[in-house]
Amino acid sequence: MDQKIYATVIKAIAQQKRIDASSIAADSTLETLGISSLDAITIMYEIEDALNLEIPNESLEKLSSVQDILDGISQLVQSKA
Amino acid sequence: MSKKVVITGLGSISPLGLSTPQFWQSLLEGRSGIGQLRGLFQQDLKVKVGAQVQDFTPESFFSPTEIPMLDRYAQFAIVAAREAVKDSGLTGEALRRGAAVIGTGCGGKETDERAYHTLYKENKSRLHPLTIPRGMPSAAASQVSMECGITGPVFTVSSACASAAHAVIQSVMLIRSGIVDVAVTGGTDAPFTFGLLKAWEALRVLSPDTCRPFSADRSGLVLGEGAGIVVLESENHARARSAHIYGELSGCGMSSDAAHITDPSAEGAAKAISMALKDAGLNAEEIDYVNAHGTGTEANDITETLAIRAALGEQADAVAVSSTKSMHGHALGAAGAFELIATILAISHAVVPATMNFTSAGEGCDLDYVPNQPRAMKVQAAISNSFAFGGLNAVIAVRGY
Repeated sequence: MDQKIYATVIKAIAQQKRIDASSIAADSTLETLGISSLDAITIMYEIEDALNLEIPNESLEKLSSVQDILDGISQLVQSKA
Repeated sequence: MSKKVVITGLGSISPLGLSTPQFWQSLLEGRSGIGQLRGLFQQDLKVKVGAQVQDFTPESFFSPTEIPMLDRYAQFAIVAAREAVKDSGLTGEALRRGAAVIGTGCGGKETDERAYHTLYKENKSRLHPLTIPRGMPSAAASQVSMECGITGPVFTVSSACASAAHAVIQSVMLIRSGIVDVAVTGGTDAPFTFGLLKAWEALRVLSPDTCRPFSADRSGLVLGEGAGIVVLESENHARARSAHIYGELSGCGMSSDAAHITDPSAEGAAKAISMALKDAGLNAEEIDYVNAHGTGTEANDITETLAIRAALGEQADAVAVSSTKSMHGHALGAAGAFELIATILAISHAVVPATMNFTSAGEGCDLDYVPNQPRAMKVQAAISNSFAFGGLNAVIAVRGY
């Protein structure tokens, strides 16, 4: 796992939910973190900005854990490279 | 004295045509106004489809001196108001003592965005002098009042996607209270501006192809534009002048979810439906048709289905439910007016417009959505649902006359 991706995703979640980054693990579910659909689109917006990516709308539909976000972003970064 | 409020005039300019007969004909034919987005900035937009008003040239409707004063959203309102007032046959003094209540979700975005472009992009230091009077959210209401010579209560109602429905309900209240006998009312919006489209893109609810309300493969909403205006009158006033009466605007229901800025609640929506029925003195069994808010988003379609079930009980399995947004798109502050007009005409023509683009029922969508084919059926009473972002719900009940 690319450290930059990991750090960017965790930071975006921590900022949006105003929680400590250390409280977020890869296997944390979005439900336990209290991430609503509006939180999710805001987190994706921050990640897009930080990694200069475009995250398609469809890819947001199946997210249930932080790991899902990490996997999805890694795929996008790879396909871009 | 009857406190009944009746509908005596209809007017619209929509992605389905520049007049109400065209609007209705398109609904009957299942013809969609949704297409490839046209205009500036296409290359910088992810959204590719919209329901735009086609073949509208302001010069055909306004003099060269009027046009500079009118934002597109106000032009739409005037065109629709002219048609509705002409249809009603009202003139002169009756209009002068009337009200105009116009809904808008966005106001004069064309004007505002042009001004910001001038400042931020072109780095100019001064703006066009008409920026405020063109762009203000109440401009359309003022322009309609001037067009029709209305000197009674005139104001704008803004409640996002429920703006038109809330505006119409305010007009009903004004007539019932005896403040006016006549109201010119509805909604207007012109949201195809670069900044607003970008903002909608960011919300990630726009469909990449088309609007498929209640379908398993629905992919989001498609924005629309235009204006819908109706003329309302007290029954006494309309009968005294032997006006043609389309139907009775018999009930109004309003509620707020007080829950979430974007996610709708079935409870709040159901409450508005129940209030409209109660206000109209209608039993659920008397409702033959529901013109749904039906945006084609997961959040709306499932919640609205639950709300219809909660409010109508067993009648939910018998009632015809359709979303005409599948054809005219989501015209935001005009949506409720388009849909009220569709509801009124469904009653008077005894035909229910279809939910077009329907493939198979989506999860949690288990009502009769009148898929793809309009249905000839007697409609004694119907409701039109409008459920806005921020949980603002407005439902209008209409009865045949």
